[in-house]
Amino acid sequence: MAAIGVHLGATCACAAVYKDGRADVVANDAGDRVTPAVVAFSESEEVVGLAAKQSRIRNISNTVVKVKQILGRSSGDPQAKKYIAESKCSIIEKNGKLQYEIDNKLINPEDVAKLIFSKMKETAQSALGSDVNDVVVTVPFDFGENQKNALGEAAAAAGFNVMRLIHEPSAALLAYGIGQDSPTGKSNVLVYKLGGTSLSITVIEVNSGIYRVLAANTDDSIGGVCFTEALAQHLASEFQRSCKHDIRGNPRAMMKLMNSADIAKHSLSTLGSANCFVDSLYDGLDFDCNVSRARFELICSSLFNKCVEAIKRLLQQVGFTADDINKVVLCGGSARIPKLQQLIKDIFPTVELLNSIPPDEVIPIGAAIEAGILLGKENTLLEEDALIECSAKDILLKGVDESGADKFTVLFPSGTPLPARRQHTLHAPGNISSVCLELYESLGKSPMNEEEKFAQIVLQDLDKKEDGLHDILTVLTMKRDGSLHVTCTDQDTGKCEVITVEVAS
Amino acid sequence: VLCLPPSTAEGEVAFMFLLIASVLCQVEPVGRWFEAFIKRRNINVSASFQELEDEKELSEESGDEELQLEEYPMLKTLDPKDWKNQDHYAVLGLGNIRYRATQKQIKAAHKSMVLKHHPDKRKAAGEQIGEGDNDYFTCITKAYEILSDPVKRRAFNSIDPTFDNSVPSKSEAKENFFEVFSPVFERNARWSNKKNVPKLGDMNSSFEEVDAFYSFWYNFDSWREFSYLDEEEKEKAECRDERRWIEKQNRAARALRKKEEMNRIRTLVDNAYSCDPRIKKFKEEEKAKKEAEKKAKVEAKRKEQEAKEKQRQAELEAARLAKEKEEEEVRQQALVAKKEKEIQKKAIKKERQKLRTTCKNWNYFSDNEADCVKMMEEVEKLCDRLELASLQCLNEALTSTTREGGKAAVVKQIEEINEQIRREKEEAEARMRQATKSSEKSTTGGGGGSKNWPEDDLQLLIKAVNLFPAGTNSRWEVIANYMNLHSTTGIKRTAKDVINKAKSLQKLDPHQKDDINKKAFDKFKKEHGVVPQMDSAAPSERFEGSPLDSAPWTTEEQKLLEQALKTYPVNTPERWEKIAAAVPGRSKKDCMKRYKVRSLTCSWDCHYPGLERILCFYFSIAYQRQYLTPAKLWTLVENFLFFVTQPQKSSKD
Repeated sequence: MAAIGVHLGATCACAAVYKDGRADVVANDAGDRVTPAVVAFSESEEVVGLAAKQSRIRNISNTVVKVKQILGRSSGDPQAKKYIAESKCSIIEKNGKLQYEIDNKLINPEDVAKLIFSKMKETAQSALGSDVNDVVVTVPFDFGENQKNALGEAAAAAGFNVMRLIHEPSAALLAYGIGQDSPTGKSNVLVYKLGGTSLSITVIEVNSGIYRVLAANTDDSIGGVCFTEALAQHLASEFQRSCKHDIRGNPRAMMKLMNSADIAKHSLSTLGSANCFVDSLYDGLDFDCNVSRARFELICSSLFNKCVEAIKRLLQQVGFTADDINKVVLCGGSARIPKLQQLIKDIFPTVELLNSIPPDEVIPIGAAIEAGILLGKENTLLEEDALIECSAKDILLKGVDESGADKFTVLFPSGTPLPARRQHTLHAPGNISSVCLELYESLGKSPMNEEEKFAQIVLQDLDKKEDGLHDILTVLTMKRDGSLHVTCTDQDTGKCEVITVEVAS
Repeated sequence: VLCLPPSTAEGEVAFMFLLIASVLCQVEPVGRWFEAFIKRRNINVSASFQELEDEKELSEESGDEELQLEEYPMLKTLDPKDWKNQDHYAVLGLGNIRYRATQKQIKAAHKSMVLKHHPDKRKAAGEQIGEGDNDYFTCITKAYEILSDPVKRRAFNSIDPTFDNSVPSKSEAKENFFEVFSPVFERNARWSNKKNVPKLGDMNSSFEEVDAFYSFWYNFDSWREFSYLDEEEKEKAECRDERRWIEKQNRAARALRKKEEMNRIRTLVDNAYSCDPRIKKFKEEEKAKKEAEKKAKVEAKRKEQEAKEKQRQAELEAARLAKEKEEEEVRQQALVAKKEKEIQKKAIKKERQKLRTTCKNWNYFSDNEADCVKMMEEVEKLCDRLELASLQCLNEALTSTTREGGKAAVVKQIEEINEQIRREKEEAEARMRQATKSSEKSTTGGGGGSKNWPEDDLQLLIKAVNLFPAGTNSRWEVIANYMNLHSTTGIKRTAKDVINKAKSLQKLDPHQKDDINKKAFDKFKKEHGVVPQMDSAAPSERFEGSPLDSAPWTTEEQKLLEQALKTYPVNTPERWEKIAAAVPGRSKKDCMKRYKVRSLTCSWDCHYPGLERILCFYFSIAYQRQYLTPAKLWTLVENFLFFVTQPQKSSKD
């Protein structure tokens, strides 16, 4: 029993397999755990992965990159327009569909995605040693219906049995198993994904093990490529300083420099300095340069600011402060950059930063875990949107703290999927013979007032205990229609009060 | 630590309603809790998940307690090599519950079997044990292996050896359909992917139920699969290619079996459907209903048609009656009118006769023959024109008075009549004039319309146009000058007017040309005073002689002319010059005119005395009654003249 999770990014694709209760990323035939999502077309064959990326210098017009950005989009889409403007391959519109024109052949973006999926399937199957086809594929949160369909069709064309398409941020949460252990409790998680070409930040509420996206923001103008470009520009100016040649106008030299900068950037994530060496960069001149991490951070400081500002904006949009976030999950290859992690940590000083899994592997691992959950189930594809009933308001209990002031405790948080039962053991001082439970309902964090009180339960004739406390077991059960059932039991005497609160119709 | 406050009020339990209870939220379809939630919702459980799980465990536990393991008597004789053909449920002692066994039960059964049959235990008991895998305990292990894996268990369940695959034939179900088919369907219901398989029901099931039952079974979605019967095991393959080949083989075999299975279900449902007495009943009912509907339709149509026919008939009858009545009335009226007319006619005839006889009796109030004739004519006219009443009046007056009185009355009547005729004529003329005027106006049209063109001018214009043909230097100015010089009316005309008129004249239709011609003739008549007498229809004037415009011809001149005519025969060259020379004081033209006129009057006087008069009389009558247009009358007169002159000429020559 095994299943596959595949993440297809704009720049890279990654596959993870679920086997024996564990999900792990598998390395491809080149030994890399991440495969560049680049497809090179030649007369006789199509090459996917690193080889295609490396040969792009010589074969630029026949090499397709960032296919995810155009998948399932029509020509009127501003994103597609931007992509077409930047693309080095010619893209034409035929029958209302955008197609690549390579060597006078028309190639659908879906076919390109299919080739990448085939490659990932091959990788996963060679690692598993059996032909497993069940797969969960991740899609960005902002993907529309058309893009999702196109991606699903591409995966199906590659021979996959697509069990479900899930959103990338939820896959990231699943990879860390957030909310999966116990089905109670509520927390907010921020997913920070800095991919190759885009930055997307999502706030997810986890309640009873079910994820709900509260807000999401995607910025297509910033990504890992920007850092590489900035570094390459710096290297170009270095080259100009030493060799008096401006190579910025030479696309081939710049591409060589970009590849070199990319490698240097990767090593700077772990090392203090990196060496850039390009043979015969321009006019037979070699290029050799050392870049320190501090230098890199200086070059990219404006980019870092941009990356971090987006978090603040999103929090403002949801109306959260940094304290409302319980966890931060990092994903996307560029989230490895130490400086970036440091900046995020500065924003959330008290929050746990989850980066134990390599950020570029988080999403495929989450997809593989979901694939494992779905394994053996029938009808895994959801026909409609996953809409479920949730409780609308917090249900709170009024109590007193040590100093005697009123204090409210949430017994039943809002957004809990219904039906649900919550059990609490409450304590009362042992020297009183009767206790009163006052229940309030509330939306948001406004201070309580008497109008929001909706129920009061009194337990009488309790045995007095000089030392110790009365233990009151309170069970709240809310049905799908929202009617609430509360049971209070005194553990010592077994006295019990039960009320049912109906919905005002 | 949160502490609960002590109760302050004595009130026990107080509660109100929740305002907003639940909202629909879109959630991410990931995670095990989501799956659990969806599963719970799909099986429509309102209790919370924990409760459900608890209940499940409870029921399973209670099941465990009742679990009765049946000892499989052949267990010890089983061949472990032939594990594929063994009954795994029986081996584990679950032969009685089979596919309904829960995982827990299987686990428990396995445990108890292991406790009982483990080789170590039996060895201790001193039993014979087979070597390695050859011991029958392997069968138990294998059975557990199969049954504990849901996929393998499903595969085994699919080919459960105790399952009765038989399909009752149609003949079997002739008598007791429900007894035969009900267990078969219940048996097969376990293969359904969907829960709540509809029951066959009984004779009293409604049409909807039966329909739902058959549509369910015709669209039966079975989970039964035949991977257990695979000939080759994939795991045994040594390499990928072999594995693929095996898989291919197996897939084909499974598909075949699956097809057979589907056929079996299909046959079952087909058989049931064809035998089902309810279907027959429904069909008959349907048929009866349709028949009834059809009948009702036909009946309704027939009735409608009949009603239509009836209505049509009634309408026709009514129309016919009305028409007959109308015709009858019309006939009656016509008859009455005819009678009256006849009576009137007779009366008129009688009165006329009376008048005539009276007049005749009184010899037309004159002794003179000519007067007599004239009076006769007048009387005829009277008869013709007078109404019945006035005729009667006249007759009465005549009978009551003497000859003189009668004459006076008749003359008075005649005068009246003449006056009337004259008036009518005048009116007609006036009408005609107006008509010509208006037509003229319309033809002159435009700028030319302001200036009227009298007859003389028109004649002059035509003459001028002919005189100065197209191509003449500044033709229209010349014509205008000519017109101004020669015109008698004294109207000054410019070239433009002339052009307009000429053009309008060119456009004139033949009728107007006729009119102009006629007018020309009228003028001629006026000038010469010969023919007008014919038109004036006054015979009395006729005898006064024709007044000539120029100096009247004296007897001497007349004689001279006659002499000259005789001297110079017709074929003489320049005859009229010679004649004119012979008659002093007369031009050639005068002579010709005189000759023509004389010849006419002479011939009429000589050869047809009275004829001319009668003709004139009739012509005048015709003209007055407007039988003839002036143009036609002129043609008639011309023809007449031609005929009259012809014999005279011939006689002369």
